[in-house]
Amino acid sequence: MRGVKASCGVAALFVLGGCNRHQSALTVFGEEAATVRHLTIVMLVGAIVIAAGVAALMITAVRAPEGRLTLSSGMRLIGWVGGVVPVVVLLGLLLYSLPAMRPLPVAQGDLRIAVEGEQFWWRVQYQPPGAAPVVTANEIRVPVGRTVQFDLTAGDVIHSFWIPGLAGKMDMIPGRTNRLIVRASRPGTFRGVCTEFCGLSHALMAFDVVAMEPAAFDAWLANERRPAAPAAATAAGARAFAANGCAGCHAIAGTDAAGQIGPDLTHVGSRTSLGAGNQPMSRAALVRFIEDAPAVKPGARMPAYPQMSRQDAQAIAAYLESMK
Amino acid sequence: MKRGLHGMVTRLKVTLWTLIVPPTVWAAHFLFSYLWAAIHCAKVGGFPRLPILYAVGTIVALLLIAGAGIIAHLQSRVPGDTPPHEEGTDSDRMRFLAFSTVLLAALSFVGVLFTAAPVLFLTDCR
Amino acid sequence: MSLHAQDDPALRAAQEDRLRAVWAPPQGLFLRWTDCNNNRVGVWYTLTAFCFMLFAGVLALIMRTQLAVPENDLVSANTFNQLFTLHGSMMMFLFAVPMFEAVSIILLPQLLGARDLPFPRLSAFGYWSFLLGGVFVGGSIFFNAAPDGGWFMYPPLTTRTDLSGLGADIWMLGLSFIEVSSVAAAVELIVGVLKCRPPGMRLNLMPLYAWYILVVAVMILFAFPPLIAGDVLFEMERLLNWPFFDAARGGDPLLWQHLFWIFGHPEVYIVFLPSIALFAMMIPTFAQRHLLGYPWIVLAAVGTAFLSFGLWVHHMFATGLPKISLAFFSAASEAVAIPTGIQIFAFIATLWAGKVKWSTPLLYATGSLAIFVIGGLTGVMVAIAPFDWQAHDTYFVVAHLHYVLIGGTLLPLFGGLYYYWPLITGKKLSDRLGRTAFWTLFVGANLTFFPMHFSGLYGMPRRVFTYPSELGIDYLNLASTIGAYLFAAGTAIICFDLARSPWRQKAPRNPWNAGTLEWLAHPDDEDWGIRSVPLIESRYPIWDQKDFVKKVDEGRFFLPDAEEGRRETIVTTVLDARPLYVVRLGTPSWVPMLTAIALGSVFILTTYHLYWWSLAGAVATLGFVLYWLWTGTAEIPEKDCKPIGHGIELPLYVSGSSAPGWWAMFITMMADATAFSGLVFGYYFFWTVHPEFPPSGPGMDGPGSFWPMVALALAALSWGTTVAARETNRRGIVGTARLLLVIGIAASLAGIWAGLQGPLTTGLDPELHSYPAIVWVLVIWTTAHAGVGAIMQGYTLVRSIAGRMTPRYDADLRNITVYQHFMALTAIVTYATIGLFPGVA
Repeated sequence: MRGVKASCGVAALFVLGGCNRHQSALTVFGEEAATVRHLTIVMLVGAIVIAAGVAALMITAVRAPEGRLTLSSGMRLIGWVGGVVPVVVLLGLLLYSLPAMRPLPVAQGDLRIAVEGEQFWWRVQYQPPGAAPVVTANEIRVPVGRTVQFDLTAGDVIHSFWIPGLAGKMDMIPGRTNRLIVRASRPGTFRGVCTEFCGLSHALMAFDVVAMEPAAFDAWLANERRPAAPAAATAAGARAFAANGCAGCHAIAGTDAAGQIGPDLTHVGSRTSLGAGNQPMSRAALVRFIEDAPAVKPGARMPAYPQMSRQDAQAIAAYLESMK
Repeated sequence: MKRGLHGMVTRLKVTLWTLIVPPTVWAAHFLFSYLWAAIHCAKVGGFPRLPILYAVGTIVALLLIAGAGIIAHLQSRVPGDTPPHEEGTDSDRMRFLAFSTVLLAALSFVGVLFTAAPVLFLTDCR
Repeated sequence: MSLHAQDDPALRAAQEDRLRAVWAPPQGLFLRWTDCNNNRVGVWYTLTAFCFMLFAGVLALIMRTQLAVPENDLVSANTFNQLFTLHGSMMMFLFAVPMFEAVSIILLPQLLGARDLPFPRLSAFGYWSFLLGGVFVGGSIFFNAAPDGGWFMYPPLTTRTDLSGLGADIWMLGLSFIEVSSVAAAVELIVGVLKCRPPGMRLNLMPLYAWYILVVAVMILFAFPPLIAGDVLFEMERLLNWPFFDAARGGDPLLWQHLFWIFGHPEVYIVFLPSIALFAMMIPTFAQRHLLGYPWIVLAAVGTAFLSFGLWVHHMFATGLPKISLAFFSAASEAVAIPTGIQIFAFIATLWAGKVKWSTPLLYATGSLAIFVIGGLTGVMVAIAPFDWQAHDTYFVVAHLHYVLIGGTLLPLFGGLYYYWPLITGKKLSDRLGRTAFWTLFVGANLTFFPMHFSGLYGMPRRVFTYPSELGIDYLNLASTIGAYLFAAGTAIICFDLARSPWRQKAPRNPWNAGTLEWLAHPDDEDWGIRSVPLIESRYPIWDQKDFVKKVDEGRFFLPDAEEGRRETIVTTVLDARPLYVVRLGTPSWVPMLTAIALGSVFILTTYHLYWWSLAGAVATLGFVLYWLWTGTAEIPEKDCKPIGHGIELPLYVSGSSAPGWWAMFITMMADATAFSGLVFGYYFFWTVHPEFPPSGPGMDGPGSFWPMVALALAALSWGTTVAARETNRRGIVGTARLLLVIGIAASLAGIWAGLQGPLTTGLDPELHSYPAIVWVLVIWTTAHAGVGAIMQGYTLVRSIAGRMTPRYDADLRNITVYQHFMALTAIVTYATIGLFPGVA
């Protein structure tokens, strides 16, 4: 938490603005992001010094009386301050930054998470070593202190996967699989976003990121592996889910629903947000999304259901909410 | 011998084409770097432990740039009047092109060093 | 000098009358638009680009209003996407690049003491193309049909016709059209700088503005064509379903990104260097001394031009390329800061050494340098790849690029406006309003863009139509919006100042006491450009050469008359500006405008899939171009030589590498070859991304090596006969030369047929996979060039028969030989690649 305060402090020096603790490159919870934050501060300080220096020189130059600078000393100024000093500074910066480009080492036994960008959501598959993969969507959970490799690709158009507090971004490009290796350093709930313009609802394509202690993570993953047990009282919702053809697009493990077009809904009730980081998970939000998804997310492939009764929508929402 | 070499060097005419020799060598070396990395990663899958090909290419580029710079430097030392050399004379025009070539050679030399630096730090295709 | 003929005032008056008559602009409501004099076309061009800038600025204001508060719903996501796409595209393609070309069309002839640039009609053609294409692209937003894929138009979002509409075609075809006009202007400017300098203006005496323009125009020549190649592939995918960027069929979206950014990064320097060039003119004036470090500035300009072509992947740091490849580009991106620093310190040193006269233009110059330095420093930051992985595609980059473009393009242009307004209109703008506007703009720019550095680091991505309140960036965004309105207010003050200008008093001639040639312009503007073409002995002739202005005005230098009633200027040698010949310039004509309209119709009608109509447009374009060439170029003069004064006689006709036309052809073909290399890059790029390339399977085995080799042999024959025709014609063996041209035409046409046989006989199906598609594109490109070659050979043959091309006057034949050299090179690369490389791979 000291890191959070420090970064907000640095920022507050410059602007009287807010500061969030979820989606900021300065509020770090991963090693990669910490390295870059350090680099950022070093470069920022350097930039301020250089900018001030140039400004001071310029003011001196404008104010100096004629002939104060002779031809030969002028040429020396151009050659040394304009030529040699930048060469040295820039080469130094380059050599300082190059080692930071090396990715973290990854071992055979490390957790891999395949994430596929879709308009406008995330298909997620956990691939723990030596176990069957677990499919979910729109939420990423990572164990603190363990190396995790993301295998990133896209189904339709180019997206970009960015968890500012954890590491830099990596594009998701159809036909390619990009690797991003991270290690979370402290637990908490954070946020990631799509940063490559991907269409109408690009702005609404985000996800929550939960960094968990390893034991809690393992328990969570074990639970994800099992089908959810919806409450008996939501049977009407399950029927409405089937009757409205939701299974054509969505999959729910342990039921007949096996659609692959939309997000997997097996444990949707346990996710912290709805609609790819769009809004907090709640009954009302679910109802609204079910009734008219395009109103919430323009361009989403899920159609509006104007013919669906309010009761059906509420029943489905209750059913989904209980899927934990 | 030196006199002969010097004579030969000053007989070479600096023109707009010789002006762009050093940066063109930089560009060729840059393209070489890019292709070397791209083809190794796409078709071979990795780099040799000692990238001899790359080192040779880089040294050749540096030598060419240094050579162009030295020739231009010799040409820029036309004996004659004092600076600033801003007259509309043959020697000042020659001196201008030669000195600009020297400066471009210096920039290109540094440019090649910059370009080659990553090879020391990054040794695989990740 | 006392017995000089020009001592006679009556003679001078008669000369002036003749010059005035020759350079008189066409009158009348419609005819006036046929003008092609640089000082008119340049002004139209500048005003049009300025209007596009205001339009694109209004789009930005709407965006900033939408983003003033979180979760705002002023505009829809759909509208917002059109707004930012059009804002970026218009500012780049319809403002920054054309504005520099427009300003140069006005200034360059003045700076070079030329009556006009060598191809005035080409300038007019460029202007009309620009206007037409600009209105087409910009106007689309009123029909809710504007492009909405971002100014970078990344496929597959933009190539999949189910995900993008007409807007993508409008962007691609409308802007391709404008790219053509940009390349045309680049040709004009390069030839102008190299060949139309006044006698004595050796390379080391050239005004720095001309150096920068030379460098920038050459950059356009190599930067725009890769984008044109990309546009070709892009439209082939959209219109014909050829899968260059479709990963499912062997394409790769990254190919577009490479081609786009090979254009896109040099583009940044293309719009930045001309503004630095304005500084290089203003700063000596206000320091009242020669600029320090002239060779250093030239080094910086040339060095930047080269380095800027090694930066493009820094826009692709997050695409997952091998880190070592990224590192090469990171290194070059750091290195490019070196020449930029040198330029800034050359200016500081000059101000330091000189006696500074504080003035409004200088305020803009220093103020914009301050803003630019901040943008440059954040540029060094984002060039460091690990930092860029965080900053990329966030508002940090929005802040960076606007600091660079406002400090490096927009404010310098406003400064240039205050500096050069007296040159164009004879009147000064208000110093008071200018200063008020400056401070409003300065505060506005910083208030808008400084907070964006932090919005970006706090996780605000670019191109979002809204953002959630929980990001804690509400105040930062509100500040940006207020700043944007402040910036708009500053711009409005400038517009107000401009609007009041007609009612102001005339300023004295050369009001800033500058030393360079352009300030010879008289407040009572004459259309002849310069009274007599001076002999140059200094970088600042008005300061250094005795009685310089008087001698120019009294016609005591060269070419003070227009005895034959023709528009003329002097062509000199490249290095030392020795007079070579007198070129006769194009006069007002409908042809440039009609050609622009015809060519525009090809692009615009294709957008709406009206292929037959666009074919008709293409035929019309060809007709106009041939008419233009036939009536307006390589005219055989009525006499061999004419005196230009001081006992010098110059020829009125030259051909080969001394002639502007030859240079224009050479330069155009450099651009053409660069576009072609973009396509060839595509072929080898696909080779690197596929484990097996060429792939095997039905519809993908081809084109074999037999037909490509036949086509290559025919191309070689066509080349050989053209070269032989040039040589025999030169020796006066006209009949043989004509026969050789006939054989050349036959070889070109047979080459088209043979070229197409390869993919046709092997049944390559371009819709199946990227391999057959790229082979087809290379073949079509090469055979289309063979077709153009045949038309040129036919044109020259007819010129010869009509007596307009003779052994002595053989410019046509020499120019088409240059084309054939490039054609032969194209054929070698294409047919060796498609015919032989599969065997090697």
